[in-house]
Amino acid sequence: MAIVKHEKTPARPAPLTERSVIGWMHRHLFSSVLNSILTIVTLYIVFITVRDLWVWGISDAVWIAESRRECFDINISGACWAGVLAWMDNIIYGRYPREELWRLNLGLIVLAIWMAPLWLPRVKAKILIGLSVVFLYPFMAGYLFAGGEKGIFMQIMLTAAILCLACNTLHSIIGVSGGGGLREFLFRLPVLKDAPEKSQRNILLCLFGVSFVAVFVWQIRWNLDGVPWTQWGGLFLTLVIAGVGIASALPGGIILALGRRSRLPVIRVLSTAFIELFRSVPLITVLFMATAMFPLFMPEGIVLNKLVQVIIAVCLFNACYMAETVRGGLQTIPKGQFEGAHTIGLGYWRTMGLIVMPQALKHMIPNIVGNFIGLLKDTTLVSIIGLFDILGMLRAVSVDGAWRGLHNEPLIFGATLFFLICFVMSKYSRRLEQKLSTDHKH
Amino acid sequence: MTNSDSRETQEAREKLASAASSEVIIELDKVNKWYAQFHVLKDIDLVVHTGERIVVCGPSGSGKSTLIRCINRLEEHQTGSIVVDGITLNKNLKNIDHIRTEVGMVFQSFNLFPHLTILENLTLGPIWTRHMPKAEARETAMKYLERVKIPEQADKFPGQLSGGQQQRVAIARSLCMNPKIMLFDEPTSALDPEMIKEVLDVMVELADTGMTMIVVTHEMGFAKTIADRVIFMDEGDVVEENEPNEFFTNPQHERTRLFLSQIL
Repeated sequence: MAIVKHEKTPARPAPLTERSVIGWMHRHLFSSVLNSILTIVTLYIVFITVRDLWVWGISDAVWIAESRRECFDINISGACWAGVLAWMDNIIYGRYPREELWRLNLGLIVLAIWMAPLWLPRVKAKILIGLSVVFLYPFMAGYLFAGGEKGIFMQIMLTAAILCLACNTLHSIIGVSGGGGLREFLFRLPVLKDAPEKSQRNILLCLFGVSFVAVFVWQIRWNLDGVPWTQWGGLFLTLVIAGVGIASALPGGIILALGRRSRLPVIRVLSTAFIELFRSVPLITVLFMATAMFPLFMPEGIVLNKLVQVIIAVCLFNACYMAETVRGGLQTIPKGQFEGAHTIGLGYWRTMGLIVMPQALKHMIPNIVGNFIGLLKDTTLVSIIGLFDILGMLRAVSVDGAWRGLHNEPLIFGATLFFLICFVMSKYSRRLEQKLSTDHKH
Repeated sequence: MTNSDSRETQEAREKLASAASSEVIIELDKVNKWYAQFHVLKDIDLVVHTGERIVVCGPSGSGKSTLIRCINRLEEHQTGSIVVDGITLNKNLKNIDHIRTEVGMVFQSFNLFPHLTILENLTLGPIWTRHMPKAEARETAMKYLERVKIPEQADKFPGQLSGGQQQRVAIARSLCMNPKIMLFDEPTSALDPEMIKEVLDVMVELADTGMTMIVVTHEMGFAKTIADRVIFMDEGDVVEENEPNEFFTNPQHERTRLFLSQIL
């Protein structure tokens, strides 16, 4: 005899213990006597810590004073933030000449304008924009920050950077306002639209050539005073080192990881040796090697400045760490993806670039951002070899005449700053992960 | 017929081959392959003519998947020769890439690209290896999606489709490359029973268009309907090769009889 159910069972809401706040608290905070005690004790510890911090850092703190002595006179039990505020310029810009600070700010603004299209809707060719940031912005920023005499190479790169920034911005404005991109816009101009296909190309080339020459001529007269690297410092220096490190770590890491997986023994062995060598040595050792030993290997007459040596060391070190992250990501891609790509005739580079890397990088986002955060924090090590990065400046506060002995407040300020930057990066990586997810698994 | 009696084999093979058109598109001659010490393919001889539909069956581990993977060089064979569409498969990379665009392949596990939409999955090959303009590639892709009856899924991601739909997309993806030969490696083995039919239907329709097909499958009903020839493999040998009616009703080799009695 068959048992048949003719009516469909309708879905009902879950019981109250599954969805109310009290139900949640009961399950997660007070599920047993021991857990209840632990919850109460923890809450009490959190409460007294926060209260003491609040009293010291906010309610009893001194914000306006001329010296540490004055801070003590006003309120001895509170924090002396006045010292940090007085040193704020130094902490951010180091000993960069005060009348030239606009150059650093301009550099930051240019970076923001250059990268903004990456987050704007309806803008095409974002990969190209990203690549132009990585490869052209450093030249522009380099000249803005360092100034001085321009060699012919620098002049060309600077021109390219300015031209690229202009095209980029124009392209993005057209894109956001819904006109496609720069290319589509140019082809709507009557001069180009009516021209035959062959001369279209020539017109574009001419346009490019003319604007290149114009910008080139203009930039010849544009001169900035040189600022030696010894005057760079503070948060600015930290961001320069970390920024170059971050921008070069991923491409370097990808190349090294592919090298390590290569079928050619020479490339594989060399990549592996390079990665393992750098990974098995602490960063501080690499930094000392770079500044003390590297000049010994260079041919006579070539003098690299310490900052460049440090940046090269940081880049290589992080590329090696990134290489292992990338390799881990590559291993998550099943063999079938390679085979699927091969069956539609894609060769090695296209398989990697179109199929494997996009998926692997997506899996690697948490690890990559983890690496970036580590890199940002590691750059404080350069203060040990005599560069005045943000940590160096924070510690310099305590040896300043008026603020002698003020150790805690600057360091706490620095810690908060690092926390904020790292926290934003980590949150952003979470969002990126969710946005890029096409798994659709529940 | 068995491998031991070579003269008779030769005659039978010629008879079977003459049923199809005379143009040879795939020719395997004494192909051998080893995985380290393990001998997977043993002296395989196989001639496929344009428009022929061949079903390969056999127990697991018999080398049937390896055989068709050698034909588009996802695996390398060690001795013997494989000629596909007039090109000998060897270490020459140019040849391999060319062969792969001429030979479509459908896998048991679909192997769609999960980070691309269905449409992008289909247009990727034509755009990057055939250098087809994007609009044209999209048009072709939609044409084949209609042929496999899921044009409405074009903008979804593979993860949002059922197994049967994914496998039909995989077939369409191969067809977009306009291949001369289609290889199927157990295309329905990973599917729920309800979805097997929709994939087989698409394959039957494809067979009706005259496509050269080599299908590794255990779907014997399918083999009976479309195959011109059935090849039975065991432990790296082609044990028996016959036209489907004879193969199923009158198997010659003892091993074939045992296999058929277990799966039918």
